[in-house]
Amino acid sequence: MRIVMQQHLPLSLLGIGAALSLVAILLWLPLFSQPVQAAPLPQSSDEDEACLLCHKQPGMSKTLPNGDILPLTVDPELIQASVHGQAGLRCVDCHEGIRGFPHPEFKVESRREATLALYGVCAKCHTTQYTQTQDSVHFHALASGNLNAAVCTDCHDPHAQARITDPQTGQPYPEQRIYDAEICGRCHSAIYDEFVASIHGNALYQNNPDVPTCTTCHGVHDIRGPQEVAFRLKSPTEMCGRCHTDPEMMGKYGISTNVLNSYVADFHGTTVLLFEKVSPDQPFNKPLCTDCHGVHKILATDDPQHGLQIRENILVTCQRCHPTATINFSDAWLSHYEPSPKHYPIVYYVNLFYKIFIPLVLGGMGVFVLSDVYRRFIRRRKGDAHA
Amino acid sequence: MSQTQASSRYLRFTLAQRIEHLVMMLSFATLALTGLPQKFPLSEISQSIVKILGGIESVRQIHHVAAIVMMFGVIYHILAVGYKLFVLRLRPTMVPTLKDIKDAWQAFLYNLGLAKTYPQMGRYTFEEKMEYWAFVWGAIIMGQTGFMMWNPITTARLLPGEFIPAAKAAHGGEALLAVLAIIIWHMYGVHVRRFNKAMWTGYLSEEEMLHEHPLELADRKAGLDKPQLDPLVLRRRRAIYFPIAAFLAVLMLGGVYFFVFAEETALAAASPVETVPVYAPRTPTPSPTPTLAVSPEAPLTWNGAIGVLFQQKCGLCHGAGSFTGLSLDTYANAMAGGKNGVVILPGKSAESPLILQQEKGGHPGQFSSQELEMLRAWIDAGAPEK
Repeated sequence: MRIVMQQHLPLSLLGIGAALSLVAILLWLPLFSQPVQAAPLPQSSDEDEACLLCHKQPGMSKTLPNGDILPLTVDPELIQASVHGQAGLRCVDCHEGIRGFPHPEFKVESRREATLALYGVCAKCHTTQYTQTQDSVHFHALASGNLNAAVCTDCHDPHAQARITDPQTGQPYPEQRIYDAEICGRCHSAIYDEFVASIHGNALYQNNPDVPTCTTCHGVHDIRGPQEVAFRLKSPTEMCGRCHTDPEMMGKYGISTNVLNSYVADFHGTTVLLFEKVSPDQPFNKPLCTDCHGVHKILATDDPQHGLQIRENILVTCQRCHPTATINFSDAWLSHYEPSPKHYPIVYYVNLFYKIFIPLVLGGMGVFVLSDVYRRFIRRRKGDAHA
Repeated sequence: MSQTQASSRYLRFTLAQRIEHLVMMLSFATLALTGLPQKFPLSEISQSIVKILGGIESVRQIHHVAAIVMMFGVIYHILAVGYKLFVLRLRPTMVPTLKDIKDAWQAFLYNLGLAKTYPQMGRYTFEEKMEYWAFVWGAIIMGQTGFMMWNPITTARLLPGEFIPAAKAAHGGEALLAVLAIIIWHMYGVHVRRFNKAMWTGYLSEEEMLHEHPLELADRKAGLDKPQLDPLVLRRRRAIYFPIAAFLAVLMLGGVYFFVFAEETALAAASPVETVPVYAPRTPTPSPTPTLAVSPEAPLTWNGAIGVLFQQKCGLCHGAGSFTGLSLDTYANAMAGGKNGVVILPGKSAESPLILQQEKGGHPGQFSSQELEMLRAWIDAGAPEK
């Protein structure tokens, strides 16, 4: 049926457009315009064919009042290859209300306004994702008047979007990880550049499946503001810690999995943990993983330029909060080491001292107290009045 | 206690001592309550305490205030002891002696049934001395390590930075020791074994004195506990001691001030880690499909700007072999006009039907006024192809 559609085109168009007199004009199109494509689109509906008769013409556009050019050409091959084309979506499924020519008036000032006027239709099918975006930093920015904030179609070109998740596994295709970074980079190019230069970004582009891409940390549709207290407080445990406490993953690279424990054991980590547990919405001034290691431009600790194995580089991070700190001060941080006779021996021996001293003192006290209890018990049994 | 027995009451702690004990007890308890949750932050009990007290920052503030109160208590105690020892020349009854070790050993043997008698002790038993000196030891450790944590930057100027986490380790270890010692030793000694009310009422009965402090009772009965003081000597000693005490007080209060205000350790908010702009769109913004754009530099000819403009604006309806009867796809077609005649009159833009039609406005493919101006100029220039 689809294969021979082309022959039936004028007839079927009549059937659909009978009530819409202007559609009749389209009947003439095949007669007067260039020859219809020899290979018909395999899945487009008849209606789509009608739309594409005009909209596949290259260079179709409309100049908007502010001078923006709104492109109106749709590449039939591109849309057919897209996930929407594969799913058999018709033009009018999204472009609702357009049934003939001339189209209903579409009055927008700018191309951005056109995008904002149209993207809401995504919610019809992608309700979950659309609802999630309503909690996102992008939506909040948009709602507060920043028209640059990303909406659905800024990240997903509805005419070209390929399938993202593998229907077999429900997981995104591996190559999506790099696409994600590219998509975010469209608007966040400066951050993208930092990320690509980082140890994570560098490995991502070498197809390393373990390193995070943008969405690994920031989420997808309900992307929270990275300055939000709750987001920041959770970052050591739920962001960095998720991979960096995984022995299997870290084992591949010889990275310690004790980083989260040693952070929480430190004054800063203890404070952050208590903030997260007790008052997750209160602002705090203690450093997170990202405050010392960097946010997007995270480098290896043995990086010759900025690596944190070098005291002076630690001091630079200390001084962001402790401006008067001197070089000795940087040794107050145990650099994720478990104190041992080799690393931080003073701390190790203080701990050892109390490990022995506390049981010794309390044990001595306990023995004496028990002996006193015993005496009283014996004397009471003997009926001594002076118990 | 009835009136008849009033004469056999012995004052054990003066009101000042009782107030001092109360202040130390409250500050110690507050320090423990606000300190231990910081040592064991993963415990749910700790987190509940922190929550009740209004978050970790306010817990630390309470901890600091309690520490200052305790420091004042210690300063008062030092000055009061100095007065008693130097001015009043009281016997240093709290100083441990060899007899205390013997007493402790004898008491232990007695408890086990290996000694016939319980040791006879003076004003302070070995148990009380142990507790007092444990407090002194604890106060020194806690004060020093507390200072290091309160003022880590100042500390790191004088000592290796590693002393700060070491101080934290010692502060926590010592805290645990102190709290558990209080529970085991103090609670048992004066609450469980026999509820000793002397620290509240101030007095012990003669029977209690006989049991617990027989040597002190004997001294007091013999009048040896209060050395006779010549008022003149007393005045002279005071005249020496008070200036010294005032000087020491100022010194120690200055120490507390330094303790509290030595440094501004951390900023309320750190400077940002990354300073790159968040929104930095790539230019030009990628477009899903290429568009034909009229280049501003294109010459005012059909092959330059005009042909593209017609294709863009009119191509949909006035394309090749258009159903509208007018094709604007090529120069020849455009100049030939449609079924209603010529639409472009070279040199006469004002009379060209195309311009007239557009000037009315509302045409499905409407030129902007700028584009229309371009078209007029092109027609008036003779509508050149090249």
